[in-house]
Amino acid sequence: MNGMIFAILAASLATVLAGIGSAKGVGAAAQTAMGVLSEDSSMFGKMLVLTLLPGTQGLYGFIVGFLIMNGTGILNGSMDLGMAQGLSYLAASLAIGFGGMISGFAQGKAAVAGISMCAKDEKNFSKAMVSITLVEIYALLAFIVSLLMVISIK
Amino acid sequence: MKTVRIIALKKDRKRLLEHIQDSSIIHVRNTDEKQSGFERTDTSAQLQQFERNAFLTRQALKILDRTEPEKKGILASFRGRREIEPEEIGKLAGESVKIIGICNRITDLDKQTADLAAERVRIKTAIAQLEPWKNLDIPMNTSDTASSAVFIGSFPKGYDNVTLSEKLAQETPELIFDFEIIFSSSNLTCAVIFTPKSQKELADNTLRTLGFSRPLNPTSKTPSVKAERLKDKLDGLQTKIDSAKEQLRSYLKYRPVIRDMEDYFVLRSEKYKVISQLDQTKHIFILNGYIPEQDQIKLEQLCQRVAPDCIVEFGDAGDDAPVKLKNNTFSEPAESIVTMYSPPSHNDIDPTPVMAFFFYFFFGMMFSDAGYGLLMIIATTIALKVFKPDRKMKNNLRLFRNCGFATVVWGLVFGSIFGDAPAVIYKLFTGNEITMRQLLPWPILDTQKDALTIMVISIGLGLLHILIGMGCKFYVCIKEKDYAAAFFDTGLWMTMLVGFAVLAAGAAASQTVFYVGVGIAIASAVGLVLTQGRGKKNIFAKLMGGIASLYDITSYISDLLSYSRLLALGLTTGVMAQVFNMLSTIMGPSVVGIIFMIVMFLIGHAITIGLNALGSYVHTMRLQYVEMFSKFYEGGGKPFEPFSLNSRNFKIKNSNDD
Repeated sequence: MNGMIFAILAASLATVLAGIGSAKGVGAAAQTAMGVLSEDSSMFGKMLVLTLLPGTQGLYGFIVGFLIMNGTGILNGSMDLGMAQGLSYLAASLAIGFGGMISGFAQGKAAVAGISMCAKDEKNFSKAMVSITLVEIYALLAFIVSLLMVISIK
Repeated sequence: MKTVRIIALKKDRKRLLEHIQDSSIIHVRNTDEKQSGFERTDTSAQLQQFERNAFLTRQALKILDRTEPEKKGILASFRGRREIEPEEIGKLAGESVKIIGICNRITDLDKQTADLAAERVRIKTAIAQLEPWKNLDIPMNTSDTASSAVFIGSFPKGYDNVTLSEKLAQETPELIFDFEIIFSSSNLTCAVIFTPKSQKELADNTLRTLGFSRPLNPTSKTPSVKAERLKDKLDGLQTKIDSAKEQLRSYLKYRPVIRDMEDYFVLRSEKYKVISQLDQTKHIFILNGYIPEQDQIKLEQLCQRVAPDCIVEFGDAGDDAPVKLKNNTFSEPAESIVTMYSPPSHNDIDPTPVMAFFFYFFFGMMFSDAGYGLLMIIATTIALKVFKPDRKMKNNLRLFRNCGFATVVWGLVFGSIFGDAPAVIYKLFTGNEITMRQLLPWPILDTQKDALTIMVISIGLGLLHILIGMGCKFYVCIKEKDYAAAFFDTGLWMTMLVGFAVLAAGAAASQTVFYVGVGIAIASAVGLVLTQGRGKKNIFAKLMGGIASLYDITSYISDLLSYSRLLALGLTTGVMAQVFNMLSTIMGPSVVGIIFMIVMFLIGHAITIGLNALGSYVHTMRLQYVEMFSKFYEGGGKPFEPFSLNSRNFKIKNSNDD
């Protein structure tokens, strides 16, 4: 039986689900940041940092996706994979897929609030930044679980 | 920090204050109440004047920048302020009236241009409104003749000769009329309508029901003549606007002087702010402030030189004294990270020395690429050499240079040099598969294959980081003689964590070590149960409080797990670089392929550097603020803000204010 199709599905899911989370999060943050920048363009650097914070989930998803592709050997043209391995990849990708997506939404909301806070007083920047990264730990945990599983599948 | 009180003769006031401002060593204490028997000078009028002038110069500069944007490189923000001789300040003072005049002229010209531009828009609209009427050969305000009434105006609908006469006849059959259509489009018909004078009122009503309206500003000239005149006026306006712009451009050469002038006024207003804080009598004045201990002698010498009659007194600063961080060259760059969180309060220790090392170290571990690290070192070193930046920028650059060194070290440990670029290029030209592990002569930790090992290392480093944070708390408590807090609240948790670490090591290595770890952990837990409820009154509340405190273990575990980001971000950098390396060699070793490779390589690694440097910076900061500072650091201190040259463009040569 060929499990490659499931491995490909796994790579796609990990990348796209986490990507949805980040896209939505960064999108919301960028909208707010542009509102602030229209008033005071000198805050660009700070706004950029806060806007990019919900962007890491997509990156984690992409990395798990890449490691799956690398692990299955599809990048070298191999199309052979056992059913069990394929399904295992699929299962492993779900952690970062869903973890990344939902935490991306949540971090986006936190980033919007942080940007508003920073717009009121630039001194709040570091507090806003730290508060936003509090959400990130859950994406990170999901990432690490997916990662350790993906690299252990033989 | 020491308090300082300077008592001096009023005749020395100007000279003394200027020298103190140059040296920037005193933080002037702001108080609203004066001491009895002393007067305060009300400088608000002068202050306002200076601030108004500074504002004016800023506005003039903005206008000039709009007239012709200044060409400055992308890197200009690194450049330090220009150095000027002390005498130049006097020269600036002499020129101030002239320059303020020029600034006024610039803002006037700008206002004029804006008014003219508005007028131009108005005329253009008027011309556009006249456009449909251009075939009318009588004036727009032609009134009735002896026997007939004349209506000039428009319908909001498209009519031709037939439809309009049908419509009019249908509306009021008894009306006698004649008309001429001047212009007609699908939603506008301009027409002149004649009726007998006796039917004027009837015609008026009829036309109104059809939505007829007269032009807003009828003129006594024919529309074409009027439009011609307006066009002439428009040309005249354009020449005026051009000449105003030309004049503005002629002021561009004053831009540098105006910029210096802005600084000059800021400088003066700072000084007057201080003067309003001085307690004065007829002959003397008193300045109260704070001074860092190491600058005491410098101040005494300065006062001796400038105003030999003055008296300088030092005292011990209280709890509300401002804080100036002082660190060696290695940890000084990280001060900005501490102050961004909050300057230390009087019962904090300065956390910079402990956190500086970990900041560089963790940043390096997350960014972890020898190539990127080398680029950071080269870029920051060049910027430091070429631009001679001011203190703040200099420290930021040095911060990233130190991070760069750590990045190189970790890059070599993880075997990452622009990702796996050497291996990829080797493969491209020889066709043989090779891994970085085989290529590099030293043993490496592969972020992908040895992820578990690196995770253990990350959490181990986290444990060390947290223990050092707790050690700081322990030290602070001992210093305040709060021994119970030191040993019970902090010490027992420290032994608990060490116990867990030994236990974990034992689980992997040997049975005995494992039991030793369990023993330490249980002993600490018992200690905590017995001591943590000590604030409570009765024995049960004490016990319950102690047991409840064990729940804190969850927060320590989540703190420790948080350090797994060291692995996650390190891996992210490596994998992203690897992906771009793979993409760049996709076209093979042909000429086109190599050009493609170089372009792709540059773009890809630029993206990787941008994203991951940001991620590493943010997450390193988070590890310091959330995981470490929460263990011991309170913050909330007042930063030391010396009375100094708070200028943007120049600084005075040989002054202390670097």
